[in-house]
Amino acid sequence: MSKLAATPHTRTGVDVETRYEIERFLYLEAELLDDQRFDEWLELFDDDVHYWLPTRMTRTVRERDLEVAGRDGAAFFDDDKAFLAGRVRRLASGRSWSEEPPSRTRRLITNIRPVRLDSGEFEVRVNFHVLRSRAERHHDTFFGERTDLLRRVPQEPGFHIARRRIVLDTTTLLAPSISIFL
Amino acid sequence: MFDVTELVQPDQGLINPSIYTDPEVYQGELERVFARSWLFLAHDTQLAKPGSFVQTYMAEDPVLVVRQRDGSVKAFLNQCRHRGMRICRADEGVARAFTCTYHGWGYNLAGELVNVPMQDRAYHDEIDKSKWGPTQVPRLHNHKGFIFGTWDESAPAFEDYLGDMIWYFDALADRYDEGLTLVPGATKWVIDCNWKFAAEQFASDMYHVPSSHASALVALIEDPAVLAEFQEQSAAAPGRQYAGNGHGSGFGLRPDLVPTQAGPDFDAWVVANREQIYRRIGEHRALAVNGHNTVFPNFSWLTINNTMRVWHPRGPGQIEVWSWTYLPKDADERAKQAVRTSTIRTFSAAGVFETDDGENWTEIQQVLRGHQARKTTFNARMGLGHERHGTDGMPGRVTDDMYTEMAARGMYRRWADLMSGLSWPEITERDKSRQQREQEAHLA
Ligand code: FES
Ligand SMILES: [Fe+2]
Repeated sequence: MSKLAATPHTRTGVDVETRYEIERFLYLEAELLDDQRFDEWLELFDDDVHYWLPTRMTRTVRERDLEVAGRDGAAFFDDDKAFLAGRVRRLASGRSWSEEPPSRTRRLITNIRPVRLDSGEFEVRVNFHVLRSRAERHHDTFFGERTDLLRRVPQEPGFHIARRRIVLDTTTLLAPSISIFL
Repeated sequence: MFDVTELVQPDQGLINPSIYTDPEVYQGELERVFARSWLFLAHDTQLAKPGSFVQTYMAEDPVLVVRQRDGSVKAFLNQCRHRGMRICRADEGVARAFTCTYHGWGYNLAGELVNVPMQDRAYHDEIDKSKWGPTQVPRLHNHKGFIFGTWDESAPAFEDYLGDMIWYFDALADRYDEGLTLVPGATKWVIDCNWKFAAEQFASDMYHVPSSHASALVALIEDPAVLAEFQEQSAAAPGRQYAGNGHGSGFGLRPDLVPTQAGPDFDAWVVANREQIYRRIGEHRALAVNGHNTVFPNFSWLTINNTMRVWHPRGPGQIEVWSWTYLPKDADERAKQAVRTSTIRTFSAAGVFETDDGENWTEIQQVLRGHQARKTTFNARMGLGHERHGTDGMPGRVTDDMYTEMAARGMYRRWADLMSGLSWPEITERDKSRQQREQEAHLA
């Protein structure tokens, strides 16, 4: 991770055209979510996807490496493809009361930083700011960083998400729920 | 000032909803409910070694809970006695000592003031450090790994405070030879609702499950036929509810310990350890006591869903939920992973059950902004007059169905007794005579 972060932008192994394709893919993904086209959104994920949002806590500088929960720690999301599909089924059930009536979301995806790995896959870090408006005047905001592992696929739109790790910048979530996807 | 008898009539199941909104009532609760009750502070396994600490809250008061060098635990207000700065600003960690960052007063792990910068020059060596440590939580009790504390010297002993609830609590706390451990890290989130909605639901409300959580099982079960059958079966299952001392526990009776929601990897471990569980808490209790629970006022868990939480009050209209996933300490890694992922997916802020609860409570609280809404009496009368004692040999008041609000009424009874300023001995006395009257009515 630290090695990757030290890689200068000129040596990311990602040419301008590929960078454009990756950006376009991520914007498409955001659009599918904001438009609530969840079945199509689900198709963007590899069958072995790990979709993960670990918790975070306030720690001293000395224990900073323990700030974000590890693989066996607490999490908001820790899903495989089957469970993501279950969430999508639930959203379509008409009885998923935290999303029925549905929230209105707006995703700002920015600071897109793709790096080509030796495997030919891309590790892409992005900053995100997701705004959710619910019911009459409820309003939540989620912000942080996402790290995706993207794989090229022959079919449109050209990539699959094989891993997603979401890290919020909040410790205590200032929202009643995360009934949307991030 | 408020008149408690006008706010709730627990024995009639009538609630004036201003108890969920009134700032004066809320301040009264901090003083008369939270400062006088036993509150959950931490689990033993959160404090692994000397110096391990967590910061938690007793209602709105930040408290440091610290493992001492001799293995004992101390808890004290996270507030410097000089000018009130928060002494420690990390959520948890391992410390050798605590230093207030404002002016540098230093405290040892026990919360004793041991260092005052420039003690000679600034204080002329006249400060008595032994008098200026942070306020200690005077009474702590470790029940099978669960550490509780109270500020109130006159509160009943922990076992008496729990009463018969201890039998239901032990279906969790005493379940395994090696005890429980927590998945590292609390999940914390904020819901704009009064704390009593959450506490009461976990004490008393199986009734909301088929409606509120109608979609949760859709996420868990793909085949609509299997789903329909499961829903029908679990709603129709016979159940019980216990109420006493403000606490509550409710559950559907199950024919077997498995299948669990965590799936085959955990089920295999449960089956391999079935005899151990039966030996410890009895087959009858192990199969029955698997549902929702609240220890008054704000500590709740779902026995076989492996989730427990504190509803920290944050004003009349807000709570912080702090939730943890617990595991049998000696389960194999696959079993632990199965529990961990299934609990995260169902009962966390993004859990397919949990999100719908927050939605209900938020909307109730919003509606209660209305003047008319706050005057409109709520109905907590389900099962009124059908209370029982000793159903199936279960201790305390136990109804023969899980669909009742007996435990809600019990919770508001305890709440009203505390809020009206009765002393602990008076409350205990009243509870006793109430129970006697009920027993007699029941026998007659
Ligand atoms: S407030 Fe803590 S040293 Fe002054
Ligand atoms: Fe619920």
